[in-house]
Amino acid sequence: MSSISCTKLTLFSIGAVIIQFIGLSIFVFGFFPVKPALSGYSGSESFRSPTCDNNDIAIHSDASLSPHRLKLLYQEVSEIPPSYDRLIIMVIDGLPAEFVLGKNGQPPGKAFMEAMPYTQSLLAKGVAVGYHAIAAAPTVTMPRLKAMVSGAIGGFLDVAFNFNTQAYLDDNLLAQFFRSGRKMVMHGDDTWLKLFPGLFHRHDGVNSFFKRRERERNRSVTATSEVKDTVQVDQNVSRHLNGELSRDDWDFLILHYLGLDHVGHTGGRNSVLMASKLSEMDEVVKMIHMNTLQSPQNDQGQTLLVIVSDHGMTENGNHGGSSYEETDSLALFISPKNHAYDHALSNHDTIFQVDIAPTLALLFGVPIPKNNVGVLISQMIDSMTDVQKLRALQLNSWQLFRLLQAQLPGLSCRNFPCDAFVTNSGHTISECKGSMEKLFCCLYLNAATAHDAWKAKVVTRSNSTEGYNNIVAAYHEFLGKASEWLSHKATDKPINLLLFGVAALITSCLILLRLVFIIHKDVSAGGTQDLDNYMKPWKSDEVFILFGIMILVISMGSSSMIEEEHYIWHFLTSTISLLFLRKAMQSFECDKAHGFLSSIKTTNYISGCQMCLVFLILCAGRILRGWHQGGVNWTNLPDISKWLEQAGSRYINLIQIASCVMIIILGISVLYLTGSKTKVKMMIGSGLLMSGFLVLHYFMKYQDMSFSYNKDAIVSIQIFYSILGITTVTAVLVLPWVMPIKTPEMCSTRNSYISTSVPVEILNMTPILVLKDFLYVVGCVYITSWCLLQLLLQQPINAMPVLLLFVQILASMLTFSFSGSHHKQWVELKWGACTL
Amino acid sequence: MDRRKSREKTTAKDASTVETLPPPQISASEAFMVNLVCVFGLAVAFSIANKGYSFALVSDPSPTLFFIWIIQLPIVILLFSRYRQNPQRCTYLRAVGRGMLGVPVGALLNSLGAIALGAPVTFQYFPKTVNWSLMMSLLTIVPPSCVLGSSWADWRRIFAQTKASGSVEYLICLPAHGAVIGGWFGAWPMPLDWERPWQEWPISVSYGAIAGYLVGVVASCGFVLAHGRSQRVKRD
Repeated sequence: MSSISCTKLTLFSIGAVIIQFIGLSIFVFGFFPVKPALSGYSGSESFRSPTCDNNDIAIHSDASLSPHRLKLLYQEVSEIPPSYDRLIIMVIDGLPAEFVLGKNGQPPGKAFMEAMPYTQSLLAKGVAVGYHAIAAAPTVTMPRLKAMVSGAIGGFLDVAFNFNTQAYLDDNLLAQFFRSGRKMVMHGDDTWLKLFPGLFHRHDGVNSFFKRRERERNRSVTATSEVKDTVQVDQNVSRHLNGELSRDDWDFLILHYLGLDHVGHTGGRNSVLMASKLSEMDEVVKMIHMNTLQSPQNDQGQTLLVIVSDHGMTENGNHGGSSYEETDSLALFISPKNHAYDHALSNHDTIFQVDIAPTLALLFGVPIPKNNVGVLISQMIDSMTDVQKLRALQLNSWQLFRLLQAQLPGLSCRNFPCDAFVTNSGHTISECKGSMEKLFCCLYLNAATAHDAWKAKVVTRSNSTEGYNNIVAAYHEFLGKASEWLSHKATDKPINLLLFGVAALITSCLILLRLVFIIHKDVSAGGTQDLDNYMKPWKSDEVFILFGIMILVISMGSSSMIEEEHYIWHFLTSTISLLFLRKAMQSFECDKAHGFLSSIKTTNYISGCQMCLVFLILCAGRILRGWHQGGVNWTNLPDISKWLEQAGSRYINLIQIASCVMIIILGISVLYLTGSKTKVKMMIGSGLLMSGFLVLHYFMKYQDMSFSYNKDAIVSIQIFYSILGITTVTAVLVLPWVMPIKTPEMCSTRNSYISTSVPVEILNMTPILVLKDFLYVVGCVYITSWCLLQLLLQQPINAMPVLLLFVQILASMLTFSFSGSHHKQWVELKWGACTL
Repeated sequence: MDRRKSREKTTAKDASTVETLPPPQISASEAFMVNLVCVFGLAVAFSIANKGYSFALVSDPSPTLFFIWIIQLPIVILLFSRYRQNPQRCTYLRAVGRGMLGVPVGALLNSLGAIALGAPVTFQYFPKTVNWSLMMSLLTIVPPSCVLGSSWADWRRIFAQTKASGSVEYLICLPAHGAVIGGWFGAWPMPLDWERPWQEWPISVSYGAIAGYLVGVVASCGFVLAHGRSQRVKRD
């Protein structure tokens, strides 16, 4: 049996905690890499080759131009006339590309073919070109929309960097369109409005589903099977369609259909509603195609229809992860021009979702967004001339090269004078090796020099397709490599750092676990003389707590367990309460033969009290659990709060007032439970009482107005805040100076509730006891004031849960003060976490 | 080694302090038979519900659980009443009566425990909860109420402290604990979003409880064997 000295123990535990901190921070930094994203918007400088000197002048001149002039400037410097005048993006939320294009070269299932006859006919005719667009994880709507319009793969933390606003501040297509004076219209998911506030000329956001957004935040799952949710959301979009298609005051129309995602969440891929939803989408496609693309009205110009989905869905209709089913999203381009190539092959091509942004930017003659990592889809620019195609490739390469320069500081002009030997190296394509910087520089130079040489030849009318193909291949090699490296840089995590962090965490866990075992051995060997305890070193509740923590950690591995975490907490805490009940029974003596012994009477009394308190805790916990159906899956089940809301607000107000009164009474009585009646305590008590009455007064007076902004209410709340603040601060500051006057005898009587099992020697150690008493009072004050504050801040329906929590905390405190068990802290922690 | 010694000491202490006869002893083969009959009863109940009335636990939990407890009821009570404590003072019929009384009490305790752990209390689940708790009562509370009667010390020793002594107490203690712990584990898949029909209350819990019960039965057979051997060694 190994024993350990006190200093050693302290050193070890402090060391373990420090290791834990270090490991955690290393892990966090590794897991959320902070990428340098380029700020600002691309301007006309993006149509010039990347050189050493920054083009600040160009940016300034861009800013001073009017949108219309800027558009003309772009057209002039890009050397590519816009292929289309208007763009319609139709986002079908959650549509897997498999439904439209099939999988592995096979056409989609018969049911899907039949559900979308018009789209399939367009595909068969070659009017439409479809791609499997691979989306990056996390496959939820907002990050995917960002990826589609900016071409960047955002990190997981990009939300954390713009705190107050959800607006997307990096360079993106919509901002570019807006800057060049194009009018945009949006109908559908209001995520767009949050991302791009103020950019839309006209909009109608569908925001009827707080549920849906909540689900997405929780990594998305089954929704309630409301017909409203699947049908009405899309009708809200489609009802604008006729009007919008006949107008000509927009250049960019976004339609975001959410219904299919809802159908998936409700019934999975093979839901009965899926076919009808797909045919509804097909109708929309047909309507747009017939009205706008085939027979354009006057002044509308050429329109491009892009049908995209933000992500796919699993067999059950979930999304968020990175499986093939979830990332397999659709990108379908339908243009008035007939694409004359082998569509049967191209429809199974795979692109990345980020490729959509540069393609659209080049097709519409705006600068490619700065942080784009995508490569233009070469088939989409087939209608251009060779010169224009090469120019498009060049523009994309320049943009990626600029991004590479930002990510790789070594790729600057000083180390590799990329501009220097543009002319002298000829058009021999050399093998590229070496470091990342050298590789990219070399690849880029290959393409650029060949392109320059080719341009010179074009001027002298000695054109050759072979040379052209070589340049295209060279550009594509550079673009592919750069894009791959950049997107990996965005998503890959430094594996060594992560491993190191995890290893440090595990080490510290092992050290702490070992310490727990050692302490336990010491305590059970030295603390108790009871033979049974000695023989059974681990009691059931201790085993259960260790085991429960293990189960919790394991259950965190499954996402659906995280969604329903509160049930697991309730389950575990109730189980531990039941185990305490069992433990209390162990010392409960029912034999009349021994009834006359006073010691047995006291133990009986104590365990009886404990049983009652634990029973109270269990009841309160059960009511708390039934109050709200939280989480994701079972929110639609009936619960007490829904029932009360149906019954009417009168009952809710009554309950609110009753629970406020109860909290005041309980808080004050607990404060005086310890017996001492100093003036300070009186003051604290009266402070609590007053603030309690203020809350009560507030409830009585303003119960009808849930959002009352009149002056009296504000004044009363301000008074409440100040009283509560003064009380709590006084409790901490004044109490330690007033307390130590007490004599040891008084302390012992006062602490009879807190520690019955304290040996006599400790009673003489006054400071510790005084500290205990002080902490007790401060704890009571804080809990009570916290409850009062919550009562004020929470909705009226949550008043009862606050009371129940208060009861639970007090009851568990009393239970543990009876037994004085040494694992109190663990359990208290659990209670604390359970309140969430 | 330590554990066995301590158990002998506690039995000695109990025998000296509490004035009851030592717990009844049965041979390993008899214990095996008792267990076999109980498990057989479960199997018969399942097959009758399944074949005779085509009830499955997943699709119709209520009737299936009803069949289980109604068939187990006479088997368990009649069987365990034979091994009552103090057979001189307590007649067979009285033990049977105790067992009958134990059925509703045990059901109440089990249902309270389940509700505390989060079982639904809405009206639609009421018959399921009743049938489930009656079944659990027969697996856990009824055998000891036949054997032990109202002796609080024995109840406490077996259930609050899990210290069984003697082969009959093994037969009571281990399957009961197994059923409760199995049911506890059976509740884990319930909050998941797999949307399987067996995730409903009380199906997975019943499966878990029965599985735990079977494990407990097997374990009790093992313990009885080991106990018999140690007794023989002691006698030698």
